[in-house]
Amino acid sequence: MNDNTMSIPHLIMNASVVVQLVMLLLMVGSILSWVVIFQRSIALRRAKQEYNQFEESFWSGVDLNELYREIPADDPRHGAEHMFQSGFREFNRLMPKTRNADTVLEGVQRSMRVAWSREEDRLTQHLVFLATVASASPYIGLFGTVWGIMGSFQSLSMTQQATLATVAPWIAEALIATAMGLFAAIPAVIFYNRLSNNASRLLGKYEDFAEEFHAILHRNLQGRDGKPSAS
Amino acid sequence: MAKGKPLMATDTPRDPQDVGYTLPAILAVAVHLAIIIFSLINWPSSSAEPDSSSIVQATLVSTETFTDQAQQVTEQQAAMNTAAEPVEAPDTSEPEAAEPEPDTQAAEQQQAAEEAARQEAQALVEAQAAAEAEAQRRAEEAERIAQEQAAQAEAREAEAQRQREAEAQRAREQAEAERQREAEAQRAREEAEAKAQREKEAQEQREREAEAQRQREAEAAAEAERARKEAEAEAQRAREIEAQKQREAEAQREREAAAQREAEAQRQREAEAERQRQAAAEAAEAAMQRQLAGEAEAAANAQQAQQAANSFINIVRRAVEQAWLIPPGASDSLSATLQIRLGPSGELLAASIATSSGDSAFDRSAIQAVEQAAPFSELRDLPADQQRNLRQINLRFTPGDVR
Repeated sequence: MNDNTMSIPHLIMNASVVVQLVMLLLMVGSILSWVVIFQRSIALRRAKQEYNQFEESFWSGVDLNELYREIPADDPRHGAEHMFQSGFREFNRLMPKTRNADTVLEGVQRSMRVAWSREEDRLTQHLVFLATVASASPYIGLFGTVWGIMGSFQSLSMTQQATLATVAPWIAEALIATAMGLFAAIPAVIFYNRLSNNASRLLGKYEDFAEEFHAILHRNLQGRDGKPSAS
Repeated sequence: MAKGKPLMATDTPRDPQDVGYTLPAILAVAVHLAIIIFSLINWPSSSAEPDSSSIVQATLVSTETFTDQAQQVTEQQAAMNTAAEPVEAPDTSEPEAAEPEPDTQAAEQQQAAEEAARQEAQALVEAQAAAEAEAQRRAEEAERIAQEQAAQAEAREAEAQRQREAEAQRAREQAEAERQREAEAQRAREEAEAKAQREKEAQEQREREAEAQRQREAEAAAEAERARKEAEAEAQRAREIEAQKQREAEAQREREAAAQREAEAQRQREAEAERQRQAAAEAAEAAMQRQLAGEAEAAANAQQAQQAANSFINIVRRAVEQAWLIPPGASDSLSATLQIRLGPSGELLAASIATSSGDSAFDRSAIQAVEQAAPFSELRDLPADQQRNLRQINLRFTPGDVR
C-alpha cells in the first residue's frame, strides 16, 4: 500500500493545482528545450559541413568569377558562401562606378559585415531560449516545491497528531517539482554551452574567411591599373 | 525566439541548411517518453527487504483448521504418491506451539502436539512388533491373493472386484508402510517385496479394469453401493481412530482387517449372487475417489486458511514491532511470551504474560507495545471461522535480533 501512494505518478496526480501547473510548465519547457537542442545540433553540424566544402572549393584555385557565377543569384546562400556572394557582388557593382580602391574595399567590407551579422543571428537562433530554460526552470521548480510544502504544513495543522506519514506524501510531491526543474535545466545548461561554443567557433571561421577574401580583393585592386575586372 | 520562429518558417522551404522542426520535436518527445518509462518501471531487485530482522515472533495458539481427517488425507496422498519424503508435520507439532500454556485450550493444543510427537515416536518403537505382525499379515494376504487368483480363472469379474478391494486395502497399508519404512531397513526390504507383488497386481488390475470399462453400464445396484460405502465409512472411522490413538494401533488394525475380511466375504457372496456387480463397484470406487478429492480439497482449504492466518499474524507482528520501545539495558537473551485475546473487530481484550522474561520492565514494555499496536482491524477482513481461531495468539518478544 505504501508503494502505491508513494509512486511518482500517484504523487503527481494528487498534487495541488499550483504544483501541477508548475510541473506542466516545466514539462513543456523541457520538451521545447530538447526540440531546440536537437534542431540546433543538426543545423550547426550541417553549417560546419557546408563551410568545409565551400572552403575547399574556394581555395582549390578556381576563378572567383566562376565561383560567383556558380551561385544562383536568386538563391541566398548561408555561411561563408553568403559572405562571399554579398562581398563579391558589392565589389562588382562598385568597380565600374569608382576608381578609388579604398571606397571599393570599404563597400565590400561593409556588405560582408552585414552578411556576417546575419549569419550570426541565424546560427545563434533559439540558443537564448535554452539559456532561459537553463536559468529559470530551477527557480520555477523551487516555487512549486515551496508551494507544496506550504500546503503540507497547512494540512499538518489540521491533524491531531503530526506523524511522518502525514507529511511525507506532501513533501515528496513538492520535491518532485524541484526534481523536474533540475531535469529541465541540466540538459539545457549543458547544451547551451556546447552549442553556443560551436556557433561562436563557426562565426570565428567566417570572420577569418572574410578577412582572407578581403585581402585577396585588396591585392587585386593594388595590382590592376585601370582595368575593371578582378582576377 | 518568438521573433525567430516566423522568420524561420518563411525561410524553411528554400533553405537547404536550416533544419525543420518535426524531427527534433519527435526526438525530444521520444527522449521524454523514454525517461518517463524508465522512471515508471519497478525494478524488482530494489524491493528486497530483510525479513530476518523481526524481533517479535507470533504464534497462533488455537488452531482448529487442521483436523485429523485432513491430516490423514494428506498422509494418504503422500503415500499414494510414494514420495520418499516424510509427511509434513502439521503446524500443531511445531516447537513454538509446544510452549507451556495456562489456558485450557492451549493445553489441549499442547496435548495434541505431544500426541503428534508421540505418534511418530511410537511409530518408531512399534516398528519392530509391527513389522513382525505386518510380515505375518502380509503372508496371509499373499496366500489369500493366491487363492483369489486361482478363483479368478473361474470368475474373472468377481476377482476384479476383490482385487480392487485389495488395492484399497493396500493403499491403507501403504500409508502405514510409508511411515514404518522410514524407521527400519528390514521392513523396507519387505515393503519392496510387497511392492513388487503389488505392482504385478496393479498391472493385472489395470488390464482387468480396461476390460471392465468396456462393459461399463449405468446400473443402479443401490444395495451393493450402500454396503460398499458402509464398509468404507467404517474403515475410514477405523483409520481416524487409529491416527488419533496410535497406542491402540495394532488392535485397531486387526479389527480393521477383520472388518475388511468380513466385508470381503459379504462381497464375495454378492458376487456369486450377482453377475453385474462390477459396475456398481466401479461407481463405488468413483465415489471413493470423489470423497478422496473432497478430502484433499478440505486439506487445501485448511492450507489456505493457514496462509490467511499467517498473513494476519504477520500484520500483527509488524504493528507490534513498530510500537515496541525496547527498554534500554535489556539484554539480548531476554524473551517474553505474551498471550493476546482479541475482540471480534480486532480490538484488544486482554494481553497477559504467558512466559515472563524475568525482567518486569521488559514485560511491561512488551504489553505496552501490544496495547499501542491494537486494534488489529485486519481481523475483520478474514473469514468468520478463522476469526474465531485468531482471536487468541501468542507473541514472543526477543530483542536479540535488533540490529
